[in-house]
Amino acid sequence: MSAKEIIKAFPDPKGGRIHIIDKEACEKAVGKILEGGGKTLRELVGLILEPGKGNDVQARHALHAAAIRVGGPKKTKVRRAFASVLASTLADGRPKSVKGFILRQLQVCGGPEEGAAIASFLTDGDEHLYEYAAQALEAIGPATVEHFRKAYPKAKGKPRLTVLQGLGVLRDEKSAEVFRAAVQVDELETRLAGLWGLMRIASGEDAKLLLETAEKEKGWGRIKATGYCLQLAEALAAMGKKKEATRIYQHLHNTRKGPAEAHFREAARLGLKRAG
Amino acid sequence: MSKGLDVELVGACDVDIRRAQNFANRNKGKAKAYQDFRRLLERDDLDVVAIATPPHWHASISIAAAEAGKDVLCEKPMTRFVAEGRAVVNTFERYGRVFQIGTFGRFGRSRDRGSIEKHKIMASGLLKNCDVVRMKKGGLKVRQWSGRPGIPPQTIPEHLDWDLYCGPSPWKPYESQRTGGTHRGYWDYEGGGMCDMGQHHFDPEQWTYAKDYTSAVEITPYAPPSHPEVTGMWSWVELKYADGFRFVMESGEWGPKYDRAPIRDVSINDLSSEDQAKIKAMPDPEPLLSFGEAVKQRKKAGGHAEAAHRAACILHLANLAIRLGRKLNYDPDKEVFVNDEEANRFLNVPMSAPWRL
Repeated sequence: MSAKEIIKAFPDPKGGRIHIIDKEACEKAVGKILEGGGKTLRELVGLILEPGKGNDVQARHALHAAAIRVGGPKKTKVRRAFASVLASTLADGRPKSVKGFILRQLQVCGGPEEGAAIASFLTDGDEHLYEYAAQALEAIGPATVEHFRKAYPKAKGKPRLTVLQGLGVLRDEKSAEVFRAAVQVDELETRLAGLWGLMRIASGEDAKLLLETAEKEKGWGRIKATGYCLQLAEALAAMGKKKEATRIYQHLHNTRKGPAEAHFREAARLGLKRAG
Repeated sequence: MSKGLDVELVGACDVDIRRAQNFANRNKGKAKAYQDFRRLLERDDLDVVAIATPPHWHASISIAAAEAGKDVLCEKPMTRFVAEGRAVVNTFERYGRVFQIGTFGRFGRSRDRGSIEKHKIMASGLLKNCDVVRMKKGGLKVRQWSGRPGIPPQTIPEHLDWDLYCGPSPWKPYESQRTGGTHRGYWDYEGGGMCDMGQHHFDPEQWTYAKDYTSAVEITPYAPPSHPEVTGMWSWVELKYADGFRFVMESGEWGPKYDRAPIRDVSINDLSSEDQAKIKAMPDPEPLLSFGEAVKQRKKAGGHAEAAHRAACILHLANLAIRLGRKLNYDPDKEVFVNDEEANRFLNVPMSAPWRL
């Protein structure tokens, strides 16, 4: 049976809400998609359209249902086979917005094996593909970190900040120099992403850098950077590095003296108390 | 919100600047309108922030407000996913700020003798082989807050900062259904009627049955496959706790009725006479503080961050079982699903930069 026939089991509310849906028929349709293997899956992906270029509600619903149902305990083999074919469709000549939808389904069902196919979009600024790719890789987990490392030098603009943040999400200790360099740039959100990355890897040797940068920041930057200093101190204390944590708390306690920063001083005081 | 507090509106913020201006005008020109909450939170003269954005912004703004030293009254549902809630709890603990979720049913329960007795029984741990099943049937607005899939992209209104509206959620092409109340029908921003109404229904129940510091361990759904973008129909979800206690939600709007266990409440008669005497001798729980009282006394509000987070988890776990279409086993201490790597991807959803937890 063709994918076009199979997806008729899914509702088409024609601009309305999905109030009528046949669970059994939909579940059977998912079974047929999976039974059909790569051929049926490619056909199904071919039915996904650019937003505003036609009705593909059933196709999107069916593809997502299949991506969800290949996940879960004891399904590794079927999930891998499905994700592998799905990732291969990213290389085809499809509209970028359709590739965005495929990337979001790989966020649900993809594995490290799909990392390279997904990562090729980390530097693509069109249709927010960099964002969807980064989120898919972050969801798959630490095994994808090498793709972020490779993409960072090539990424520009918004993709660059997204990739930098991805390195922080995955707590990449090998990117400590990248985070440090980011702290020195003119753009505030990049500086904050760099500080956040150093906090995420609990880099005690960078405590001074965090404190000095937080000291220089104003407004939103100072609020967030000071928060990262406190979180770094908590992380260091949890690792048993009480001396390093104490230094951070003491510095914040000594420097956050104004009434608008009383909560920072109080948080530092409590941190000092906990650290003994 | 202002009961017991001397409150003056000094600023209003909305990604739709016209709405911010209209709200700010309520204070006869004394309040300033903002389109970016970061500029609002930089003000030194704010004490309290009320957050009434769509839920995908609740956690990030709550956290930023606490970091800026403000107390927070946040609309329900508290969060969009589980990890956000834990981050909010940790932040409010770090800074000693007051958090209160925008639902108040637990305050009435905490003054009701029958509810207090149930609370004591469940908190005591004296009830063995608990077979209590509490059902919420209907009232979860499943049809009303299901979304409309396949709406073509539209032109972004000039007064709306669409990128900032999307914020930590994945960017999507603008269409008006994604804003203005109907946002509830999109997974990117909320979780349908379950999330819209669930915290109202289950927050008081959670207090009554002494579940403010834990979550379910088994979640079993009956639902058809979910659409990737919009919320839709479901039949029932059962959430079983480690002590055997069960919450059940039945939509009453689609599918078969729940029939896995008889519905029954807890009773003092479930205990031996010796244990009944222990319950009678137990002190009543501490009275819950209103937001105003908590702000003045610098203590936790009745609907504090941990309780609100656990109540939000009821909704998130139920919705995830619906979306994933399978029974889920959950570790309420580690806050992860057990042996289900794909399900865990929905507990800590990657955010769009520069937004992060």
